[in-house]
Amino acid sequence: MGRSYNTIAFDAAKCDGCGDCMTACATAKVGVGDTARSRIQVVGSADDGFELALCRQCGDPKCVTVCPAGALTKDGTSGVIDWSAAKCVDCLLCTVGCAYAGIALDAGTGHVAKCDTCAGAPACVPACPHDALTYITTSRIYNEVGDWEDLFAPGLAGCQGCNTELLMRHTLRRVGPDTVLATPPGCVPGMGSVGFNGTTGTKVPVFHPLLTNTAAMLAGIKRQYKRVGREVTALAIAGDGGASDVGFQSLSGAAERNEQILFMVVDNEGYMNTGMQRSSCTPYGAWTSTTPIGEGSRGIPSQGKTQDAKNLPLIMVNHRCEYVATASTAYMEDLYDKLDKAIQASKVGFAYLHVYSPCTTGWRFPTDQNMEVARKAVETNFVMLWEYTPGEGLRFTRPVDDPLPVTEYLKAMGRFRHLSPDQISHIQGKVVENLAFVKQMVHRASV
Amino acid sequence: MTTATLETPSQAKPAKQKVILCEGNEAAALGVALARPDMVAVYPITPQSSLVEHVAKLIADGRMDADIVDAEGEHSVLSVLQGAALAGGRTYTATCGPGLAFMFEPYFRTSGMRLPIVMSIVTRDGITPQSVWGGHQDAMTVREVGWVQLYCETVQEVLDTTVMAFKIAEHHDVMLPVNVCLDGNYLSYGTSRVELPGQAEVDAFMGVKDVNWHVALDPLRPMAVDPLTGGSGGKGPSTFVRYRKGQCRGMQNSLRVIEEIHEEWAQRFGRRFAPLVEEYRLDGADYAIMTLGSMTGAAKDAIDEARDAGKRIGLIKLKTFSPFPVEALLKSLKNVQALGVVDRSVGFRWNCGPMYQETMGALYRLGRHIPSMSFIGGLAGADITVGHFHRVIEATEKLMTGPAPTEPVWLNEKD
Repeated sequence: MGRSYNTIAFDAAKCDGCGDCMTACATAKVGVGDTARSRIQVVGSADDGFELALCRQCGDPKCVTVCPAGALTKDGTSGVIDWSAAKCVDCLLCTVGCAYAGIALDAGTGHVAKCDTCAGAPACVPACPHDALTYITTSRIYNEVGDWEDLFAPGLAGCQGCNTELLMRHTLRRVGPDTVLATPPGCVPGMGSVGFNGTTGTKVPVFHPLLTNTAAMLAGIKRQYKRVGREVTALAIAGDGGASDVGFQSLSGAAERNEQILFMVVDNEGYMNTGMQRSSCTPYGAWTSTTPIGEGSRGIPSQGKTQDAKNLPLIMVNHRCEYVATASTAYMEDLYDKLDKAIQASKVGFAYLHVYSPCTTGWRFPTDQNMEVARKAVETNFVMLWEYTPGEGLRFTRPVDDPLPVTEYLKAMGRFRHLSPDQISHIQGKVVENLAFVKQMVHRASV
Repeated sequence: MTTATLETPSQAKPAKQKVILCEGNEAAALGVALARPDMVAVYPITPQSSLVEHVAKLIADGRMDADIVDAEGEHSVLSVLQGAALAGGRTYTATCGPGLAFMFEPYFRTSGMRLPIVMSIVTRDGITPQSVWGGHQDAMTVREVGWVQLYCETVQEVLDTTVMAFKIAEHHDVMLPVNVCLDGNYLSYGTSRVELPGQAEVDAFMGVKDVNWHVALDPLRPMAVDPLTGGSGGKGPSTFVRYRKGQCRGMQNSLRVIEEIHEEWAQRFGRRFAPLVEEYRLDGADYAIMTLGSMTGAAKDAIDEARDAGKRIGLIKLKTFSPFPVEALLKSLKNVQALGVVDRSVGFRWNCGPMYQETMGALYRLGRHIPSMSFIGGLAGADITVGHFHRVIEATEKLMTGPAPTEPVWLNEKD
């Protein structure tokens, strides 16, 4: 497989054109804060906002192609396009070849200059006061697991735009082939993990537990292999409904006994596979097929779910599991760190990983918006990313200190389209309350 | 009976066995220990509790090398065992009444996955009315779910049948879960003299453990266990039928296997139990009564007294209730002119006892009408005494000459 590289990402919506990134770059690279000599240039865009003139470290770099002196080369390890002063003849053809204005003449030296990502720690990124710049390092995930065997054959039948296939493939690659996989009734087997009529694309042993007994069956499997001295990972990829409602007893029992299981809940906040019915993880106000919108009776309109969601991961914390974490596919590095920790924890006890899974079908949003919805959930603190171990307590892994108003999240989905101002105010209040509650737990854990 | 596949016992005479005094629940636990399961999962419920306590103590004392899971409920108890069996483990549990009801979801599935799990049912009446006492209502309620169900008469039979149950369940022609039913209160707490087989002899009897050769969750031979099937298209219908038909074939095969294994047990350990249907003083009888479980002791006493008084009465006891031993039963009924069937539970749909109802189904194949009636007794811990059985015998005798009542007789109604 090819190689993936880190990159500097730019969020134009957050940029106010202050130029702090340019000052930082020039200072780092030429020792003076002369923004004209910065290799990152903030320029006006056609829509009165801003865009970047910056080297994209292209996979198919035109600057390299047009250089007649062999002075520009792409580094196969870092992905950075290196410039060689010794070979350059100062013809400036490269500046014409680049469509991003990513390489330009530095008047101070008389040669071209370009971004070299400061050897993996770009000075511009932390200098931005508005978090408009991010150094994306998820390439390490691809580079590490890209060559590992995908333990599902192509053709999982998920809904278009669903993130669960991504989650399943990444998780299984990471966990590896010495695994027994439980996929209780729901979207995951609905996608064909256990197959139909004797055919399956799953390359590890896989089964449907009952909706109710996933953790108990895995406990039996794990214990039997332990008894005969074999190291096998017992993994569940379960839905929120089975875990938080009808299967909660076996989940709680297995956690209390500290069974050596990795239990992943894919939380799409309802029974989406059976037609988008309400679960106890469905948030307040949400439309589902069993909390529909209507005129109601006795003057009380039906306006979606009337109760707040059960916070299953916090309940699991109260089992003092070996490891508990929440994660989101919009933050893959965070998810991967947690997956690794959960795998390790499951070798000694119960590990619980709660992954938020926006449902394009049930939540009513366009199929290309899955990651954006997932991101907005975190940026508004509607969803909080944290982890817990008995030794270190609870800590935020991606704290959001300046959250967006929850309406930024709610408006992305049709399931909240009907909300009244009172309902929105209730949800915003609960976001604040939930944050305060979890923060209290952080405090307690560190005392 | 087929005996060709039986091993030749290593000795002509059974080895001398240790004699102990114990209750039925302890006898079951000792039988479990002798069968050497890998995993036992438990959840307490009256009148089963002392059974799992005995198992836990045997493990704690090092007299039994098994993993014990104190699960949070019967539903998980059976689910844990399913997992262990799919990973190759020999497994055991016990329950009854409300616990069995709570367990029903995985219970149904165990036979479908052909997992040879052994579970004692320390039989208890169904609630409500609220009761914690014995009765066959629990086991009868789940008789149509594809488990082999064997009912014991004595404490010794509980011990011996518990060991045999593992071998029946794991037989390659069967591969089905087995319930060993012992009457709550009467057998669970009834204490009697028991001969305890030696471990080496039981090991030789059990042979090699081979639990998950047919279906496994094992990374060394990955497979998808229980994929979605059925529906009305593609391979769905035929696949589903193949599974179901296989279960029915396994049930029918078990009738032969139960006989073979009882015969082998008799040869190795010197105790012979009727595997399917027991006939007691049936030779020369014109009419008969049918019994199930521990009530049979009192019934046999009543039969002896009636015979001594010149009545031409005999007794038929079922040991194997599921699968229903139709051919063996019809053979026993060959010369019977009238029949009284005593149940320890209720069949709500037919206004009679379940064993009576099932027997009526078998009788259709006999091709001849036998006047018969249903007796229901011993519910919720009530005793069925020798006196009650004399009433059964008298009423059955009247069937020879008079009309058969359409209502069941409730034996303890006026106790």
